[in-house]
Amino acid sequence: MTAQNDASAEHGLNPPVPPVDDSNPTGRYHSSAAERVQQDVSAGDALAPAAESADAESPAEKAAPSERFAWMKDTRQWGVRAPVTAHGLTVDAINIGIYGEIPDESREMTRMPRGSFATPGLPRLDNYSVNRKEELWSENAAWLYEEAIQRRWIAMQDIAWDALPTLLLDFELAWCQLCTELGHHAIAETDTIGQWLHRMNYAYIEPKMFLATEEFDAARHHEVMRHRALCNGGALGVESAGMVSRRMLETRAGWPETSVALYLARGVLTLLLYRFGAHYAANPVDRKIFSLCLQDKARHLAYGQGMLKYSVAVQGADFATSLRRILGSIEKDMAGELKDAVLWEALAIIAGGSVSGMKSGMAAVHKLRGDYVRQYVARLRYVGIGKRDDALHPDLAAALAGG
Amino acid sequence: MATLQDRPTIEMEQAVQDGFDLSWLQRLKEQIPGAADELAHDPTLAENTAGLLDESTNFTQRTRGALPRAGIPQYTAYTFRDKKEVWGYNLTKLYQEAVSRQWSSATDIPWDTLRPLSDDVEAAQCQLATFFAQVEFVAADVPGRFIAQMSPDYHEVRMFLLTQVMDESRHMEVFRKRALANGGGLMRMIDSVSDVTGGSTDNAREFTEMSSRLHIVGEGNVLTLFRLGELMAYNDAEKAIYRRAAQDEARHVAFGVLHARYMNECTPERREEIHAYLDEAEDRQATGNGGENPAARGANLTAESLAILLGGGADKADEGQKILAAIRQRQVKEYFQRLKSCGFDDRIENGRVNPALLEAYKAAA
Repeated sequence: MTAQNDASAEHGLNPPVPPVDDSNPTGRYHSSAAERVQQDVSAGDALAPAAESADAESPAEKAAPSERFAWMKDTRQWGVRAPVTAHGLTVDAINIGIYGEIPDESREMTRMPRGSFATPGLPRLDNYSVNRKEELWSENAAWLYEEAIQRRWIAMQDIAWDALPTLLLDFELAWCQLCTELGHHAIAETDTIGQWLHRMNYAYIEPKMFLATEEFDAARHHEVMRHRALCNGGALGVESAGMVSRRMLETRAGWPETSVALYLARGVLTLLLYRFGAHYAANPVDRKIFSLCLQDKARHLAYGQGMLKYSVAVQGADFATSLRRILGSIEKDMAGELKDAVLWEALAIIAGGSVSGMKSGMAAVHKLRGDYVRQYVARLRYVGIGKRDDALHPDLAAALAGG
Repeated sequence: MATLQDRPTIEMEQAVQDGFDLSWLQRLKEQIPGAADELAHDPTLAENTAGLLDESTNFTQRTRGALPRAGIPQYTAYTFRDKKEVWGYNLTKLYQEAVSRQWSSATDIPWDTLRPLSDDVEAAQCQLATFFAQVEFVAADVPGRFIAQMSPDYHEVRMFLLTQVMDESRHMEVFRKRALANGGGLMRMIDSVSDVTGGSTDNAREFTEMSSRLHIVGEGNVLTLFRLGELMAYNDAEKAIYRRAAQDEARHVAFGVLHARYMNECTPERREEIHAYLDEAEDRQATGNGGENPAARGANLTAESLAILLGGGADKADEGQKILAAIRQRQVKEYFQRLKSCGFDDRIENGRVNPALLEAYKAAA
């Protein structure tokens, strides 16, 4: 302990201990910031209000710790008071002192809470495969986690389902097809994250927690899309071609490799489909449904891009090249989905207002497909993968050109 | 509401002549009569799932009731595709309750009511919080893994488990926040491990094995503690944490009980197997092995912390131990009630139940 609770003097059960470099308590953390940890521990003293520090007794005046409760001295940093901010007590706010030290690598396989006092000699409880910061970290994860919770919504309460107006049958079924496709996207997202979440090391709880919110969002998206397809006289449509979903699910190389498919190849399309739905919604109910989903999906992409950008920045050009190579097969499937008549014809009906308006609606579809490829390329560049337009799959390049 | 037309319209024929396919649209029209049934099965509205397929052949992540495509890869190969492996009762109600009762640890806990505590009480509170920060997300990692292996035809189960993933994430961070909010810090990680090589909640490869250990026993014990949070809390912030966490945990336990009840009624051939899972889980409940029951006699770190909190200080820990003993008895009573509810209470009568638990139950009677 490096600072005292203001009542510690009275009880004397938790006196300060001499500072030691315990930044790597089990030898399983590797941090470039390790040498700074002791300094941060000292800085932790400053977190206590000045009056407390002044009132605290000196170590010499402390009573010896009780033998009965010897564990009371087992803390690496004491005296921590995370500030309650205008946004409440946030995850960012508790990342202070040693508790905010994010190791570059963790071989800690025991679910030890980051910053807690280690018990040496424990066997591994798991063998996590995502153990390096650059494999999952994003600086915005903690903030996005809190945002996800603050912006939660309830499909059955926040949507005025009874206010859905009657639509012409073909038009209604086109919406049903779009909803069926997006329901599939949510299931694929759930399966993909679910098979990675438990492989992620507990040193990196912020991205783990954010991904829990993404899983929860995906459940709600599945619920709301399925319900929208069924509740207004239509029916569930034809299942998705699912080509990119397969890439997401079958990628075993790592979380960043999976994320390229999940967030950039699929996530961008999902985002644009929600935006399309919100834009062409024929009534306030549909507009609200798609707008709320859009807000969630934007958050998911913010994490995915932040993580990939960090991952590429740390791992360098060689890693970026490897991701670019992975994109070859993913783009092949993106191109396959771009050719699939089912989704795009449904969108043409939606944009055109009816089957007879499909021809004019195709202009919006071409724009959407172009935007998809354009945003995909732009986001690749943002994260540092750097894909040239002339290196795109030919069908993607054609979509970019409005084909 | 749209009206049914079962033949291609003139507009459709014209569009096909213009080069559009639209065969999918005709398939959707033929699908409409069945949509009413699907809506009746919808997780948002009904519990009518009697007609749900007992075995799922969905290997392509389609939402239940969507029209299959021919000739696409069956890339999901779900491990759990039999209703009798995963199903339970009241799933939709539990899901809807979960989404309705989400809360924010940042803003729904009155953190400003935290006041400086004596160092021994603060240390005990922090030790307990460290324990929960360590174990709560296990109940997110493990269900998350099963969701990814479960056919989406049983989306009611998947969606409920997804709410649990969210809940457990919040529990992990709210206890971490508590440890770091009031002049304390994180303390010693729990050192009790068992069955690392198999037979524990997070090693389970079978859904009912996982659920009976996690939901019925592990979370059940924690639920009793959370429900008694008033006894361990020293301010409104701590009371709110325990109260809200108890509400979440009660849903998870209910899921496990209702799954076990379904299994008891629909798969009597698996009763003995489920009893075997309970044998192992009861041992951990009684001894504290595996760190699954923080109140257990052998769980030194957490049991001592609880005794300090319940007694009102380190110097009153012996008083606290007496209250803790009563809590253990209450854990057993509530566990036995769960056994009755799901139809596995024969073990109480036939001598199979863990003797230490039975003794505690009789002492409480």
